[in-house]
Amino acid sequence: MTAAPRLRSRAERHANARFRLGRLNRLALGLALLGPALSLGGCGGPDPAQQAVNLSQGVPIGAVLALSGNANVYGQDQNTGLRLALAELNGQGGINGKPLALKIEDSGSDEPGANAAFSLQINRGVLALIGPTLSQQAFSADPIAQRRGVPVVAPSNTATGIPEIGPFISRVSAQSSVIAPLSIARALELHPQIRRAAVFYAQDDAYSTAETTIFQKALTDKGLKPVTVQRTQLNDQDFQTQITAALQQKPDLVVLSLQAVDGGNMIRQLRELGYKGAIVVGNGMNTPNIYPICQKYCEGILIAQAYSPELQSPANATFLRRYRASQGGAIPPQLTAQAWTALQVVAEALQRLDRRQPLQQSSVAQARKALMAEILSGTYQTPLGEIGFTPSGEVIQKDFFVAQVRMAADGKSGRFALLP
Amino acid sequence: MELIQLLLNGLSLGAVYALFALGYTLVFSVLGVINFSHGAVFTLGAYFTYLLIGGQAGANGLLAGLQLPVALPFALALPLAGLASALVALLIERVAFRPLRQRGSDSLLALISSLGAGVILVNLIQLLMGAESYAIPIGTLGSLPAALRFAGAQVRTVQVLLLAISVLLLLLLSVWLEGTRSGKALQAVSEDPVTAQLLGIDSDGMIRLAFGISGFLAGVSGGLVGLSVSIAGPYFGISYGLKALGVLVLGGLGSVPGAMLGGLIIGLAEAFVPAEWSGWKDAVAYGFLFLILVLRPQGLLGRPLGTKV
Repeated sequence: MTAAPRLRSRAERHANARFRLGRLNRLALGLALLGPALSLGGCGGPDPAQQAVNLSQGVPIGAVLALSGNANVYGQDQNTGLRLALAELNGQGGINGKPLALKIEDSGSDEPGANAAFSLQINRGVLALIGPTLSQQAFSADPIAQRRGVPVVAPSNTATGIPEIGPFISRVSAQSSVIAPLSIARALELHPQIRRAAVFYAQDDAYSTAETTIFQKALTDKGLKPVTVQRTQLNDQDFQTQITAALQQKPDLVVLSLQAVDGGNMIRQLRELGYKGAIVVGNGMNTPNIYPICQKYCEGILIAQAYSPELQSPANATFLRRYRASQGGAIPPQLTAQAWTALQVVAEALQRLDRRQPLQQSSVAQARKALMAEILSGTYQTPLGEIGFTPSGEVIQKDFFVAQVRMAADGKSGRFALLP
Repeated sequence: MELIQLLLNGLSLGAVYALFALGYTLVFSVLGVINFSHGAVFTLGAYFTYLLIGGQAGANGLLAGLQLPVALPFALALPLAGLASALVALLIERVAFRPLRQRGSDSLLALISSLGAGVILVNLIQLLMGAESYAIPIGTLGSLPAALRFAGAQVRTVQVLLLAISVLLLLLLSVWLEGTRSGKALQAVSEDPVTAQLLGIDSDGMIRLAFGISGFLAGVSGGLVGLSVSIAGPYFGISYGLKALGVLVLGGLGSVPGAMLGGLIIGLAEAFVPAEWSGWKDAVAYGFLFLILVLRPQGLLGRPLGTKV
């Protein structure tokens, strides 16, 4: 009987609701007032950007990757690429004898996470940032780096308009408008009978909306105006409604601009619901992490890529050797190659800058500004082939490829097989 | 044909929402507080199911490469995952709810502590299993076809299974609540725990029972959804949890039939969104919820409660 007085009736609980709401309002007001006060408090102390570059722990570089949340499938690939590149670069002497000190922060898979991680890294005094993983995050976090004058090299943002965020923003990931049409052209070569295309994309994701525009234009240019355009939402997993609506239009080509987990589920559900035609997917599914999701149904999907393991170059050979040694002989995915490339670009630009003007003689702000100019002015021999940058920070890349997924007989593992 | 297709789509979606919302409802009915850790228990159910059928932990958690020595058939793994989730729910009740209740704390505090318990659980999953996605292997349902046809409409077999199990569990729960002594005791506790206790009902025991059943339902629905659409990482239950919260409010807080009705209505509302608006289905579903609440603030089957003076 001891508990009886502590339990309350439904009517009492209801009567307390208004009181609790009142308290919630006061709590919200308190937090609203506290926020600016804390911000003001944070304004005290010296500006870290005006202090000399601190090389006591090495040359400070930051990376912000989606290591958790729905986009973690990309972040894990990128994490591998950065760590392998770091080992390789530091093994070769780092920045003229000073080791690179790379700090990687998890952004989650959303914009607030990316903003917080960017701010944290910038306040640490990093000279450049690599990331964030998603274009959607970049549109939110890159302006922070731009305002604070910190160079950003994006390893995987493909949406239109990323370098245009500002002069401190660049990317090594070719934008969708360059890559996406290649897979459509190849699908039509392989399946000339295609007449009816269905398009799916996540309407609340910057990458998806940018890429689908390019896909739809490429289809229309080939005389294939989509017979249906189905919209999903980021992190949707059940697509029965959209798929059954699309299948009523009897498509013989499906084009997906979705993130990896969503896209893997979409492919599985498309095939389970009887769709037998060709499937072209966008860059969001450019990761082997889709294999466990769509499993045997991944077989045959077409994808354009900015990296080929078969590219013959010393830089790619080094990357392949490092990757295979660490991953049991596996074939590296594009995102890993691009992450390696991003760190390589930053490191080589730092080496040139440091030779011309030793880093320890500059303030953090001066070093950041000079580094950005150095990044854009260089040409780099990378696993992606030779790359450079336009003055606005857009990557200039020569080699692109179209691959088709080939799954192993057990349906658990697969590979992106390059099409000749 | 199109109407049947839409109905099938809506019912299969709605059944999951209803099953999820029932777990919320049971706890709310006895404690008057929403258990925000319910989504984490749902996620846990999916992971338990995955491991019990012989799935292997990925490379990024502390349990990297772990695989249980036995691989159970899905039909056995699912109820076992439900039971394991029920145990976790009981632990949450013991750690996050009971101490506050025994001190007579405001139920708002229990809401926050349940949120904390949920966050800890999700992070624990991430620590142990990594942040990667997992999928229950295609073919887990044996020789059943991938999809079934009804009157020209098509639905994935797993969705039919999900609908059937959800309806079965909902019916069993209703029968138990209305037709058994313990079910009525739970209702009595939800009505007035003090009076129920004076009548000889073990209110604390009933609260534990509500948590156990709620955890079981969460675990089973997590396993079923994991079978249907893969397990998209430790945060997988959050979006379902938010939707189920809407369902709970729509049906009427604390009403079991209301949770079922609310789930089906939200599922059907989403399914009936025209194809060209398919990306706005959440907005349509929540818009519908808003409209209902404006017209009937206590929800569809909730009871209006008088204000104390």
